[in-house]
Amino acid sequence: MKHIAMPERREGPVDPMPKQPGPSEEGGGPKRPDIGSPDKDSLLKRMRKVDPKQAERYRQRTGE
Amino acid sequence: MRLFGIETEYGITRDDLEEVDPVVESMELVRAHLTASFERRWDYAGEDPHEDARGFRVSGLAQDKEEDEFAKLDAHRPFSFHEMKSDLVLPNGARFYNDHTHPEYSTPECRRLKDLLAQDRAGERIVQRAADRRNQSLGGEYVQLYKNNTDFHGHSYGCHDNYLALRSIPFPQLTAGLLPFLVSRQVIAGAGKVGIEAQESGVVPGQFQLSQRADFMETDLSVDTMHNRPILNTRDEPHADPKKYRRLHLIIGDANMCEYATALKVGTTQLVLDLIELGAAPSLVLEQPVTAVKQLSRDIDLKAAVRRQNGQTITALDIQEQYYRAAERTLAGLDEESDWVLNEWGETLRLLAQDRHRLVGKLDWVTKLWLLETFMREERIGWDDPWLASLDLAYHNVHPVRGLYLGLEAEGKAWRMTTEADVERALSVGPPDTRGGLRGLCIRRFPDHIRSMQWERIQFTGGLMPRTLEMGDLFEPAEVRACAELFETADSPLDALRAWNGRKDIGS
Repeated sequence: MKHIAMPERREGPVDPMPKQPGPSEEGGGPKRPDIGSPDKDSLLKRMRKVDPKQAERYRQRTGE
Repeated sequence: MRLFGIETEYGITRDDLEEVDPVVESMELVRAHLTASFERRWDYAGEDPHEDARGFRVSGLAQDKEEDEFAKLDAHRPFSFHEMKSDLVLPNGARFYNDHTHPEYSTPECRRLKDLLAQDRAGERIVQRAADRRNQSLGGEYVQLYKNNTDFHGHSYGCHDNYLALRSIPFPQLTAGLLPFLVSRQVIAGAGKVGIEAQESGVVPGQFQLSQRADFMETDLSVDTMHNRPILNTRDEPHADPKKYRRLHLIIGDANMCEYATALKVGTTQLVLDLIELGAAPSLVLEQPVTAVKQLSRDIDLKAAVRRQNGQTITALDIQEQYYRAAERTLAGLDEESDWVLNEWGETLRLLAQDRHRLVGKLDWVTKLWLLETFMREERIGWDDPWLASLDLAYHNVHPVRGLYLGLEAEGKAWRMTTEADVERALSVGPPDTRGGLRGLCIRRFPDHIRSMQWERIQFTGGLMPRTLEMGDLFEPAEVRACAELFETADSPLDALRAWNGRKDIGS
């Protein structure tokens, strides 16, 4: 899991603040996920388990 | 003053039934959350979808006829309106109820993005836990929940983002400033969809688009939400002091699975509201916003240009760039969170133009497209294969073992901005600096002393006179914390209320 640090919101007038390390790789935040391909042993397996006709059967009422 | 929240209507189905009664299923799902019998507490005063922010009241909504027909059917059901709604206020200050045919989770009001993300994720866990309980009683994993916005047959349901705005900003100024931004926001906040639909009609397969909701936008401005859906909803239901505030109720958005997309969706919209308040929004008018929403959604290369009123054309990325630059110029240094949003907004627009692959795990449409393209290569299928719509649906399943996005997240391929500890805490505690957190506190401390609750007030039992905590103008964080401290330490809610009112009297 890749966690991105988010700053706290400050109250009231703001003093000049040092830049916080963001989620970039250079800033000491999390590393970019390895997105070469979905893991063939788990995620693709999970995808193959999805019933190809699931969406065809899926019906909802109109909401807001 | 910043305050925002997200309402999510979940899709619900039963795998063991040919025909599902969504009213009953949604009601039973919400009821499954309860460990005791349902008590009617939600106060519907203040909910009036007929008031229009343009300064008039409509006599009817486009959905009224359909709603009336449902009401006639519901009259024959063996439960009352209130039992059907099963409106719950949760210990984190959220509202969880049956919005007629969809379980809906509304986060408590938040002031910070990190709180909103945690509360939104808590909502996913709460609805799935309710499904787990319901399934336990049914004897199998039959009930499935989807955090999405379409059934691929022309029926859409919403994920609305809401913002507190000052009433002093003229509504035409709000709409002018927001319309081009909302038309193009889908490049960041779109959840991605397989196929093209229209209201009440089937899907045309063979194409991937950025947004789930774009197909359902029918007009620029309207008070309606179920038919004739607008890019900018004009419902005037502030849930706050109407003289000072309005609630911007945006129904154009998709339900996001990616935390990063949710953060940017709400964070950038808040910055645009700040720009409008300062009179610093870009001056940009689109010729046909509704056409533009659909046109931009259906171009995954982000090259489509839409017509401006001045005769020129502009791409979605260029619209976003104009807003981003105005925000950077005007709002940089405002506070840490704004700076974070600005930084990520600019970087995301750059990556969308140059290297969008790096946004996998951050933006839903990019992530879903990458998953589907990988699958198509593996299985040697094309865009016209109906399996892809099913995979699209499965992306949004909130079951941890079935959901494709949650699977991706479990593999470490999605960016997280909350920790598990944040989400766990959000299951039972609301933001400490908003009335949402205060609402939750009252539910936790004094569950047996509450007569009714709603967004802007809590009425307590005891005595002959109404004992009401008014929260229609309780937005200053210091005030909220002071009030919460009284309710945290008092022996009874009436003691806390007495002390709070006395404090206000001294203050005035």
